[in-house]
Amino acid sequence: MILLPRAVRAEWIKLRSVRSTWWLSLAAFAGLVATSAAALATLSTTHCSPVPPGCDEDTVRLSLAGVYVGQIAVLVLAVLAVSTEYSTRTIRTTVVACPTRLPVLAAKIGVVLGVVLCAGALGVLGSLVAGRVILPANGFVASAGYPPLSLADGPTLRAAASTVLYLGLIALLGLGAAAALRDTALSLVTLLGLLFAFPTVAAFIADEVWRDRVLRFSPMAAGLAAQATKRLDALPIGPWPGLGVLAAYAGGATVLGAVLFRVRDA
Amino acid sequence: MNGFARDLRAEWTKLRSVRGWVLALLASVVLTVLVSLLAATASSTDVNASGEFVVGPGGQPVVDDFHFVHQPLTGSGSITARVTAQRAVQESARAGVMIKDGTRSGAAFAAIAVTPRHGVRLLSNFTVDRTVGSGAAPHWLRLARHGAEITGYESADGSTWSPVGTVDLRGLPDTVEIGLFVNSPPEVRLGRQAGSTSIGELPTKSTATFDNVRLESPLEPGPWKSEDVSRPVAKPIGGDLVQAGGVFTVTGSGDIARDAPDDDPVAIGLTGFFVGLMAVVAVGVLFMTSEYRRRMIRTTFAASPRRGRVLAAKAVVLGAVTFVAGLIASVTAFLVSQPILRDRGFAPPAFPPASLADWPVLRAVVGAAALMAAVALFSLGLGAILRRSAGAITIAVGLMLLPTIVSTFLPLPAAKLFLLVTPASGFAIQRAKEPTDALVEPWAAISPWAGFGVLCLYAAGAIGVAFWLLRRRDA
Repeated sequence: MILLPRAVRAEWIKLRSVRSTWWLSLAAFAGLVATSAAALATLSTTHCSPVPPGCDEDTVRLSLAGVYVGQIAVLVLAVLAVSTEYSTRTIRTTVVACPTRLPVLAAKIGVVLGVVLCAGALGVLGSLVAGRVILPANGFVASAGYPPLSLADGPTLRAAASTVLYLGLIALLGLGAAAALRDTALSLVTLLGLLFAFPTVAAFIADEVWRDRVLRFSPMAAGLAAQATKRLDALPIGPWPGLGVLAAYAGGATVLGAVLFRVRDA
Repeated sequence: MNGFARDLRAEWTKLRSVRGWVLALLASVVLTVLVSLLAATASSTDVNASGEFVVGPGGQPVVDDFHFVHQPLTGSGSITARVTAQRAVQESARAGVMIKDGTRSGAAFAAIAVTPRHGVRLLSNFTVDRTVGSGAAPHWLRLARHGAEITGYESADGSTWSPVGTVDLRGLPDTVEIGLFVNSPPEVRLGRQAGSTSIGELPTKSTATFDNVRLESPLEPGPWKSEDVSRPVAKPIGGDLVQAGGVFTVTGSGDIARDAPDDDPVAIGLTGFFVGLMAVVAVGVLFMTSEYRRRMIRTTFAASPRRGRVLAAKAVVLGAVTFVAGLIASVTAFLVSQPILRDRGFAPPAFPPASLADWPVLRAVVGAAALMAAVALFSLGLGAILRRSAGAITIAVGLMLLPTIVSTFLPLPAAKLFLLVTPASGFAIQRAKEPTDALVEPWAAISPWAGFGVLCLYAAGAIGVAFWLLRRRDA
């Protein structure tokens, strides 16, 4: 299709020429690294018995805890990429220039994913570097059963790669939902609610079976199960099926957004 | 009509005439109630069926473990003893004299005791535990029964006695057990394992020596019996008695106190606020930012040039409306969820019925509504500062909900500190029970007013900065 490269170019110009794109990418990167570092800094071996292997900390997961903050910037970036076209009415110009609408959406998804995956990969690497520096300083050393974080380690690589993938799926979820809802405030509240409500409500559920059931359907809790490198059998859902849950939400939102974008008046 | 009343009316008209906002407020009420209902349906407990469970005379859950050196007393009488020394690791370990309705754990009792650091204490029926003197061992103690009234006395020298309090134990049978007792509360240990913080109790023991033990009884005093009073399951550390001449050396372990389970059915029944809040955040932010997006703000300030007053009118209207919506949501959620929770094990005796007439319950239910209003005002302030919906909504939702998720996997001391610097600590107001370190959710470990105070500071700070910027900036 000749349309697609042109659409990609147009979307890339739109995306890169808006200042908020770069601020939000920076926020995603900085949020990832800074929050991970802060979470690691709180970690101590004081209450472990025996000190420190008794705590059995999942240091990889804690090193990637920044994803909780970083994902917000990613979500906002993705939502704004679509919703501002509606609030500024640019969408009419866009669809006039490219009347077969689906390439527009595909191009948007492509460029936003490109930016998000870059920022996410850099942030994840930064977080792991922070972990390599902070963990030994807090007593989590190789002799105690905590070898330095390394991507050569299978579970660590899986956790790191799935975190980047998670951020990509969050972006897809944001793009799809914004295309369906066409309003910044409505999309953000709905998506933030979808992400945060499940785990918070689950904390109050005393019944473990029900708690796991709620977490299994939570895009965030299920999607981030892939970050775990220890006690995998205690997770509410396995690492890859968990990412599958998020992928189903993201895919569903994208299809819904695409269909509505195709059939509705802009 | 004066200026402020006119501004109020204008803002009220704006708020009620935007259909999306009215729908969002309705959605917030409906979501809050539905999610609370879901959380109640998905919660259950079997604590009442547990064998370790002991109920006090008032029907309340208690822990009643100690060592008792006793004999029967029929009718009126008294016991006097001098605690000559107390060896204990716990500051609140007790050594003293007691009158108890038999030796069953949880039975009615009255006692007076010395502690290493917490003074002389008068205890009764797990409801009274107060400081009545400042002494520590060596110290003289006396407990006298006269009908239903039991009076405690203390003395530093055994000759000048002062009565320090009387408790009324109506329903106490004619024959009771009277004697010496020693207890030592367990040590609470913070443990961290498998990535989560846990609270462990380590049993401790203490030893006290008594002399000058004198029993005044209508009948001839008999021999002393020594036994552990404890819940049905065996105690990890048993006590004992060594008697030599007139000196009694008593060792005991365990605690005598109220012991309500940490789970709070009131808070579970208000879970929906975590979700309902988000719609309120949106309304709070948009109430301000949509004025900017539609350039309405210029008309607004042209009609009412005193900008601070406009912001105040917005805050009053929004605060009042969200408080009322929150109150409807919290009262409905409370009334609907409590019967469900009762059916699912949150029932007496472990969980006495929660009534809106009790102050902590009322505080939680009205506090949840106040939480909603405070969050709305915080959002309004953020909206006025940033003038952009996306940023303000994201920051408000992020600051309210992200800490509640992140804090659950941080070590507990760090989690508490982290919550206390974010407005999310406001959720502490939803608990009707004492703060506890023993639950998954760290906001349960924060005192309700401290937590709510932090949220109010955030709201006041945001409104304050907004006020300053609004007057300084062009509209």
